[in-house]
Amino acid sequence: MTDVLIVGAGPAGLSAAISCAERGLQVQVIDEFMRPGGRLLGQLYQETDGSWWNGIEEAAKLQDKAASLGVVLKLGISVIDLNQSEDGWIVYTSTGILKAPALLLATGAAETACPIPGWTLPGVMSIGAAQVMTNVHRVRVGMRGVIVGINVLSMAIAHELELAGIKIAAMMLPAKNMINKDVGDPRKVMQSIVRLGHLAPSPLLRLGSGLMRYSSLQSLGLHLYPKRGFKVWGIPVQLRKAAVEIEGIEKVESVRVANISPEGDIVPSTSRSLPVDFVCMAGGLYPLAELAAVAGCPFRYVPELGGHVPLHNARMETPLAGLFVAGNITGIESAKIAAAQGSIAGLSIAAFHQVSGTEEDLLESIQNLRITREKASIQFHPQVADGRRRLESMFSENFS
Amino acid sequence: MESQSVIICRCEEVDLKQLLETAERFSCSSRELKLRSRAGMGYCGGRTCRLLVDSIVQQLTDTQTSNEIPLKHQPPVRPVTFQNLGGGLS
Ligand SMILES: Cc1cc2nc3c(=O)[nH]c(=O)nc-3n(C[C@H](O)[C@H](O)[C@H](O)COP(=O)(O)OP(=O)(O)OC[C@H]3O[C@@H](n4cnc5c(N)ncnc54)[C@H](O)[C@@H]3O)c2cc1C
Repeated sequence: MTDVLIVGAGPAGLSAAISCAERGLQVQVIDEFMRPGGRLLGQLYQETDGSWWNGIEEAAKLQDKAASLGVVLKLGISVIDLNQSEDGWIVYTSTGILKAPALLLATGAAETACPIPGWTLPGVMSIGAAQVMTNVHRVRVGMRGVIVGINVLSMAIAHELELAGIKIAAMMLPAKNMINKDVGDPRKVMQSIVRLGHLAPSPLLRLGSGLMRYSSLQSLGLHLYPKRGFKVWGIPVQLRKAAVEIEGIEKVESVRVANISPEGDIVPSTSRSLPVDFVCMAGGLYPLAELAAVAGCPFRYVPELGGHVPLHNARMETPLAGLFVAGNITGIESAKIAAAQGSIAGLSIAAFHQVSGTEEDLLESIQNLRITREKASIQFHPQVADGRRRLESMFSENFS
Repeated sequence: MESQSVIICRCEEVDLKQLLETAERFSCSSRELKLRSRAGMGYCGGRTCRLLVDSIVQQLTDTQTSNEIPLKHQPPVRPVTFQNLGGGLS
């Protein structure tokens, strides 16, 4: 008899599995990928303190710990639908039906598209696909490419590609259009990356972390922005250039690049073709919450968390009995935070099963999460803590 | 290339121009736009273009993002065989 079924073997799902199993619950984890670890598997970067975060090693630690506690892990199985019944959750998968009184959704995040003409040509991929091909499958994505879309994720992955010996000719914005309004707007992009001071070895951007919070200085910064961009890890980061179109007959051959104004408008007659053999599109991340939606969980729109998120409280409970959420499905944050949320969810599930003595640990783990969030070296949205507070108060207004 | 010819739904090959024309002509909701154009009804189940279709409708109708997800998720959330869907596996 399974006490809890966990969908997703990323840092959130595996950490939850460990904390449930440590309290004596029978745990089953399902993931559709053929390896456990979720998005951890692609991660490799240097922390603010200089140490390296190696996601493959982190995933192995979690997997070993879970296995030693008797957690059952099933890979290559997709969950396709859910139903709540009198005695728990009925989970429909690609290989049959499973049942459990408690269900944790830890399905992570998906990538937002930022289409420009030519983005469906072979050789164009999302930045996350390039990360998985490089670090998980160890397949070379190409010889020389361009990254379209500048954000914390694409900067981190650009570095990973460089470390793997893959040449990035430039990072630039997608040409602004009705669907790429924000990711194509140099001012908005500047606002989001000036907070990554430690990632940006350029004086202007570093200065930015403090001073450029003021919008007047931001536009000044953009006016002064050098034509060739700044080099970050040897890669030109060009906030004043946009990819207008990806060109090629059978596959990517070049990217048409034009200069843009600080507002993101194309400067006429400035476009030229940059020869490349691959292009990565980086439009950002959003919570992958489709299973919470089909389960009938209420949602809230919280832009700081990456979009629509299932309503939940600090204990990772949703308003539906026995349904819990943890990790990026609740908002886009880094892997350490997903893991900390998983531990909280695990304790909540133990409390749901009336395992005694969990309450104190639960409160402590909620406190730990706040500390982890304050110290996070990778932050996807600067106001994430505000978004979290707002969501928690929306939960207590409606369900307590 | 004209910028409106950019493909939005890659599974069903629906471009921005088609979506804009359909949305304007029928003053569509996201759901109606999806059903009329097939954007979001292909193999990936709308994982790639759902947010784009929502955003287009929102801008044309000048509405705020609602708390509920505008374009509803429908099971199965992954492609499955008819055998599985018909209960042949259980
Ligand atoms: C492309 C990409 C790159 C990222 N890079 C970084 C980075 O460099 N640094 C960083 O700190 N954060 C990064 N993140 C954020 C990342 O989401 C978190 O670091 C962390 O991995 C989130 O953990 P999680 O457990 O919530 O989800 P994930 O690690 O994403 O794990 C979710 C798991 O659920 C499984 N799943 C989803 N739906 C189903 C289903 N229906 N049925 C079965 N299984 C399912 C998936 O296969 C996946 O293994 C990245 C995210 C993405 C999408």
